[in-house]
Amino acid sequence: MTARRLFAVVAAVAGAAAFGWLVMSALGSLLRAPALPPAEPTTVPTAVVAPPAAAPATGPHIKATLYFASPDGQRLVGVQREVPLADGPVAQARVLVEALLRADAPDALSSIVPAGTSLRGVYVSNRNEVFVDLDSTVRTKHPGGSMQELLTVYGLVNTLLVNLPTMTEVQILVEGREADTLAGHVDLRRPLRKNDALIVSADPTPQDPS
Amino acid sequence: MLLVLLATGTLWAQAAAPVLTILSSDGRRTLPVTVINNQDYVLVDELAGPFGTTTREAAGGLTIAVHGRTIILTADQTVVSVAGRLASLPAPALKRDDRWYVPVDFLPRALAPVLDTRLDLRRASRLVVTGDLNVPRIVTRVETGTSSASVTFEITPVTPVRITAEAGRLAVQFDADALDLLVPSLPPQGFITSIGAGATSSAVAIATGPRYGAYRSSSSQPDASSSRLTIDLMPGTTDLAAAAPATPPTPPVDIRPSITPSPSAGLRTVVIDPGHGGEELGAQGPRGTLEKDITLAVSKRLRTLIESRLGLRVFLTREDDRTVSHDDRSAFANNHRADVFLSIHANAAAHPSIKGAEVYYLSIERADAEARRRAADEGTTLPALGGGTRTIDLILWETAQARYLEQSATLATFIEEGLRSRVEMSPRAVQQAPFRVLVGANMPAALVEIGYLSNPAQEQQLASADYQNRVAEAVLDALVRLRGLLDRTAP
Repeated sequence: MTARRLFAVVAAVAGAAAFGWLVMSALGSLLRAPALPPAEPTTVPTAVVAPPAAAPATGPHIKATLYFASPDGQRLVGVQREVPLADGPVAQARVLVEALLRADAPDALSSIVPAGTSLRGVYVSNRNEVFVDLDSTVRTKHPGGSMQELLTVYGLVNTLLVNLPTMTEVQILVEGREADTLAGHVDLRRPLRKNDALIVSADPTPQDPS
Repeated sequence: MLLVLLATGTLWAQAAAPVLTILSSDGRRTLPVTVINNQDYVLVDELAGPFGTTTREAAGGLTIAVHGRTIILTADQTVVSVAGRLASLPAPALKRDDRWYVPVDFLPRALAPVLDTRLDLRRASRLVVTGDLNVPRIVTRVETGTSSASVTFEITPVTPVRITAEAGRLAVQFDADALDLLVPSLPPQGFITSIGAGATSSAVAIATGPRYGAYRSSSSQPDASSSRLTIDLMPGTTDLAAAAPATPPTPPVDIRPSITPSPSAGLRTVVIDPGHGGEELGAQGPRGTLEKDITLAVSKRLRTLIESRLGLRVFLTREDDRTVSHDDRSAFANNHRADVFLSIHANAAAHPSIKGAEVYYLSIERADAEARRRAADEGTTLPALGGGTRTIDLILWETAQARYLEQSATLATFIEEGLRSRVEMSPRAVQQAPFRVLVGANMPAALVEIGYLSNPAQEQQLASADYQNRVAEAVLDALVRLRGLLDRTAP
């Protein structure tokens, strides 16, 4: 890509973001405009910026499946939790990730995300790829190890793709940037599909009303 | 592996009920070993015989007295008080059926300080050497070919040796009090019928077979702490004459592959990648063991083993503690035209109980699958200088691994099978994952997680020479099998 072309793309991205910001501001919505993911140019102009998940405590809820690490640390176990119903896939993706980051693991299971990790933003491309932007805690507080890293990555990917069936792939970003890996193993440079091999399927999904 | 302990010149197989052998200047004693949670434990009461300990139980604890000093145990605790100072054990002291058990490490860590003597625990051979007894550890390797055989002894520490040819055997006399000898199980064949205890407590006898005629020995010193003695057994002249023109000798039906350093068409260069390094510490054990240090140590052992046993060229992506990018690691393998790329790692998990080794090869995501289809095409036709076209093999560096997936899967399975007979495996021993370091490798490639650093017992194992050697031997076996496969399929 030449410098001119790059400049044109950057300008287009900035323009699209500014346009979106103006429109949303006019509607009186609060909006953050974080850096857009460095995806292919065709996907960028249609990326949607999620509004902050300020869903009210009351209101409609849906049952969502959140993924946790199994007791033997080798698999993901889906646990049903009530999460607020959000307007559209971008806002719903945000709600799902925030629920996963905040959730206390049920007995015997453990959380797949390092404690204290926060969500910076969620975007969806026109190819139905979800981009999840996490803060650097997910990397600095990660205990390391291939297995734990696989569980972190696919816990997030599966939580999004199982609950949002129209979405196809998930890419994890760190601090607004494309990441090489979280802890040195799993390739995060492109979007990942749902991983059924890691999910415990033999056992019925534990119910956890909370 | 058969363990032959030569303290009294008797043969003792590990398959029997496990015992801990204690060697002292007074002779040899054994203590029964109970395996609990994969740890060797001994009964505290049994220590009274060899060490003169007395015990007194009080308030959930046990006080062990010897030489007027005391050790205090607490049930289910890994920390013990040794003459007022704290010492930690790799596993807790246990009280079962009113009897107290301690892990074997209790001897060097708690008992030795109060006895004011050295207690050297040789875990692999379940041996404790007391005082200043000179008991070198001798690891035996046997290589059998069709026209000769060789026996190699790795001797730690360096010990003088004398070889004498006797009727029907070669006697190898070590200048030591006793031997801690490991001999591989060996099917009888033309040159060697057995290797075992010699006439004295510090001798090994190699019983020679019908094809044996003469021997030649050489020794070397790979490092300051150990020496290596190689004895080549060659055929007699009559054997040569008989074997060459007439029917060839029946091929050996070893279960283990015959390891002879012969040139291979398909496997010449191996690149080993010690995971992490420098600023990237990798996983960290509860006692502070760093993954980057373990991976480097295992990789170096593996290199030595492959070079000496297979005669292949071996390169490491890092020789010391430094940061190396993922791309540089696979590029290093590609630039050295490696035939196999192996990345060595140690694992971590949220629960400390999780343990076992795992082997991974690359899984393909959508974009890679497209690249794979492209790679499978006949190649790309480009206009050539001076007119016409030529077909070149165009493949994205990024997705080089895609075309080797079948071979990588085979390699991973071979490694898993090698490991399974030597170390504990995780419940999911072979898996596919989109691992960054494997993507760009333009050759069969696998990532080996040799165990969980987050498990306290495994943390200790991973740092031990014994465990690291077992991992290296498992990978060596896999490479021998892969070489056989590549040689058969090579044009």
